[in-house]
Amino acid sequence: MNRKIMSGVGLAAVASLALTGCGGQDEPAAADGPVTLTLAGWDFASTPEFETLADAYHEANPDVTVELKEYPAGDDYDTALTADLAAGAAPDVFIVKNLKNYVTFTEGGTLLDISDVAAELDPETGGLAPMAIDGATYAVPYRQDSWLLYYNKALFEKAGVDLPDGSWTWDDYAEAAAELTEGIGEKQVTGTYLHSWQSTVQGFALAQSGAPLDGGDFSFLAPYYERVLAMQDEGSQPTYATVTTNELTYQAQFGTQKAAMLPMGSWYIGTLVAEQESGAADTFEWGIAPIPQADESTTGTDATPVTFGDPTTMGINSGIDESKVETAKDFLTFAAGPEGAAALAGIGITPALIDDTVADTIFGLEGVPQDDLSRFAYTTHETLPENPVGPTTAAIQTILGETHSAIMSESTPVDEALAEAEERVANEVG
Amino acid sequence: MATPVAQEQRTLGFTEPGRPPLRTPRTSLKLRNALIGWTFILPNFLGFAVLTLTPVITLFYISLTSWNIFGAAKWVGLANFERLIGDKSFHTALGNTFYYALVHIPVTIVVSLGLALLLNQKLRGAAFFRTVAFFPYITSIVAVAVVWNMLFSPEYGPINQFLSLFVEGDLPGWTVSKDWAMPAVIIVGTWKDMGYYMLLFLAGLQTVPGELHEAARIDGANTWQRFWNVTLPCLRPTMFFVTVMVTIQSFKVFDLILVMTDGGPGQATLVLSQYIYQKGFEQFEFGYASSVAVVLFLICILVTVVQFLYNKRKEA
Amino acid sequence: MTARPSALQRSGRVLLYVVMVAAAAGIMLPFAWMVISSLKQNNQVFTAPVEWVPDPVVWRNYLDIWVRADMVTWVRNTLVLSVAVTALQVLTGSFAAYGFAKMRFPGRDALFLLYIGTIAVPWQSYMIPQFQMISSWGLNNTLWAIMLLQAFGAFGVFLMKQYYESIPDSLSEAARIDGLSEYGIWWRIIMPLSVPALASLTIITFVSTWNDYLGPLIYLRDRSLWTIQLGLQSFIGEYNAEHALIMTGSVLSVLPIALIFLLGQRYFVEGIATTGVKG
Repeated sequence: MNRKIMSGVGLAAVASLALTGCGGQDEPAAADGPVTLTLAGWDFASTPEFETLADAYHEANPDVTVELKEYPAGDDYDTALTADLAAGAAPDVFIVKNLKNYVTFTEGGTLLDISDVAAELDPETGGLAPMAIDGATYAVPYRQDSWLLYYNKALFEKAGVDLPDGSWTWDDYAEAAAELTEGIGEKQVTGTYLHSWQSTVQGFALAQSGAPLDGGDFSFLAPYYERVLAMQDEGSQPTYATVTTNELTYQAQFGTQKAAMLPMGSWYIGTLVAEQESGAADTFEWGIAPIPQADESTTGTDATPVTFGDPTTMGINSGIDESKVETAKDFLTFAAGPEGAAALAGIGITPALIDDTVADTIFGLEGVPQDDLSRFAYTTHETLPENPVGPTTAAIQTILGETHSAIMSESTPVDEALAEAEERVANEVG
Repeated sequence: MATPVAQEQRTLGFTEPGRPPLRTPRTSLKLRNALIGWTFILPNFLGFAVLTLTPVITLFYISLTSWNIFGAAKWVGLANFERLIGDKSFHTALGNTFYYALVHIPVTIVVSLGLALLLNQKLRGAAFFRTVAFFPYITSIVAVAVVWNMLFSPEYGPINQFLSLFVEGDLPGWTVSKDWAMPAVIIVGTWKDMGYYMLLFLAGLQTVPGELHEAARIDGANTWQRFWNVTLPCLRPTMFFVTVMVTIQSFKVFDLILVMTDGGPGQATLVLSQYIYQKGFEQFEFGYASSVAVVLFLICILVTVVQFLYNKRKEA
Repeated sequence: MTARPSALQRSGRVLLYVVMVAAAAGIMLPFAWMVISSLKQNNQVFTAPVEWVPDPVVWRNYLDIWVRADMVTWVRNTLVLSVAVTALQVLTGSFAAYGFAKMRFPGRDALFLLYIGTIAVPWQSYMIPQFQMISSWGLNNTLWAIMLLQAFGAFGVFLMKQYYESIPDSLSEAARIDGLSEYGIWWRIIMPLSVPALASLTIITFVSTWNDYLGPLIYLRDRSLWTIQLGLQSFIGEYNAEHALIMTGSVLSVLPIALIFLLGQRYFVEGIATTGVKG
């Protein structure tokens, strides 16, 4: 657009706004005047990360205010954000909560190209590299959770089972779960707990087998499903049917000591610490171990265990006012960089960039287990995405979600369900 | 009608000067009626046309395009509909929807009509029982789904525990079994809707004149005969309304299934409305989702038109 | 014909009552679970197996819901919306229904089928174009949006039209001969005779606006505009959920409506006076 016309219009706008006495929220400001960025987040009451980042940035850049706009939590976030994006009412910066929607947002032109921001970030930033689509990046990760194994030391002692030492394969895990269930010997207490999400099985299968999601072949899922079904039959964990119909929650199951082990994302560290403090969870000694591996090659504290986890990324609304673009990019660099990471670590959130400062901060928090294995598990892992960036990911994941419930409810045998899934992908996904 | 009037009807509304007209000429009466009719309809129709009709027409247009919400819609003609023909998931959803509808519709009508008839009498505590029947409808759908899921829990739920007293062997898995999930959902759907339709039937039952019942009783008709020959015919407008609404709501069922089983296990309870939601909001294929909505619309309209014509015939 | 009921009839009555009470208990079971859960601690709500007796009984939840959560705002917003939408629907719907039921004009039936047709389209499928339209008027994130969405539905028109058709034409004919205008007939004759239908429409519209979730989710962003359903859903946080409080809120949300329904019973079962009219 002709800059002269724009500044002329800008002057007229400022003049008219001044005349009507309104606050000038939308007046195009020069880059060094006060700027307000709007940021979409969710559930501010129990998710303090947005406020933390906003406040930290404001402290470092006093003439920039990051205004938070609250969206519903959970799956509703995407629905509401989609509606606002469609109507052009979305904020300047928004979080891409669900990685599988990243490609759609990009294709729809809602995200600004921020390859320059991505280039400036530390290449070790978790989840950054896979965000590139045809060489351009449209969102950068500010937090990256990984899945770990939580375990209850007290229950292990009670059952007389050896604590995890970082060398476990899935078979070791299954064995321990069975022994724990028997050793504890209490009704309603199981060796482990598997939550109902499809990621609890498929995430690991995808990451640890190295198979591609869109390869059209789902046989890599078979051994993982067979294992959990066997564990279910054995009684080592509550059945999928019970978990879903009774709406069991992983926080309650592990927190009230109804399960001795729990594979879960690193976000649970903060939650468990807070719940033990408030009394919502029992007081017991717990630790974190690396997630069990597919085979011996990646086990042990000398190797790097493979796990999964999607980064939570932030992007810039392509409809943003042009004068704010530089500020927005700077905010993203801050959030995804070491300063943002330090701020997030302070409230127990796992940032995308995990360096020693971050690890020290996290393990310095009251209530977090202090043993070496926990620190190893938290800092050392190869985390692969659960929803690899690609045009067919969303559709495939919907199909696999239905496959998951079919298999876990024991309505369809594993091989049949996987074959059906492959057929559906071939038939329905372009 | 008198001939002079007929003569006047044929003229274009003019009356002979000096002669007072016996009746207003037919055509201007029709015009007058049309105008008055429209003034009645206009307030509601204006809001309806702008707020509902326009988006619905837009929906029909979108079904002929490929659109991911965020950009411009790309015209593809009938490609979406062609794709539907070969889409197995669509067929599954279609089949499930019919399964739900064909069972839910008659069961709900019978149960709610029965409740209305029962609770229309001067029974002690009728008001209380009517409120009880209405409770399921006013409870939030999320709470309903959570509770019923728990009641249906195969291992720990009270329903299976109760059944195990009488039945040997494997008990139904209900919402986690691909064979029993739909029956479970239908049961909950009927439980939730019966109070609502009972209310509508109750309103309709108030229009049945008491004297007709009396006359029939005096003539020696028993309860069933009175129901069939007095109540039902008077209830026809209400019956038409209830039937059309139950039909449409059954084909459109969404919230209940979404929160109870999320279309699962597998696709055992996937219905058209959820398929639309999946394609639209999870995979951002809005054009395709709209084409499914158009199919759903056509099914409902077809059934409604059939019911409409049947009702009109019975009216005559 | 007021012979004393025989012993058989009386025991039939007793049996009927027994069955009805049992059925009522069955129907209310889910609601009973809701009440029990609302008195539990959060981590005890969902367990396997179900615990039917809360231990400890957390009466505090009924206090917390008002103090910790913004229940007052939610109730106020929900009340405003429900009353406004109900009033608009009932008025415009019954007004339009008269045109469809009692007046004859070309295209009437086709237009009516169009009305019913829109009921047949699931709302999620046209909710985005509708949202875009309303947002372009600057009404998103306001309560007005919800009012506009719900107030002009086809349902009210349909319900009232069917009811009007069961009111004999002879009544309105007589009034017409007496010189009453169509509007007068509608207000003086038809409306008073359709109290049961009006009552049904009122409570149904009220309930559906009261319990509406998806509409407020899409349109209402500001916390100060949240409705009860939206507010309760916010208790489901990202990493944990306050299940007990959600149940408390749900119980409180149901009670006002149940009360209105119970107290307003006579409107639903009031008969119409048809004396002097042979069918």
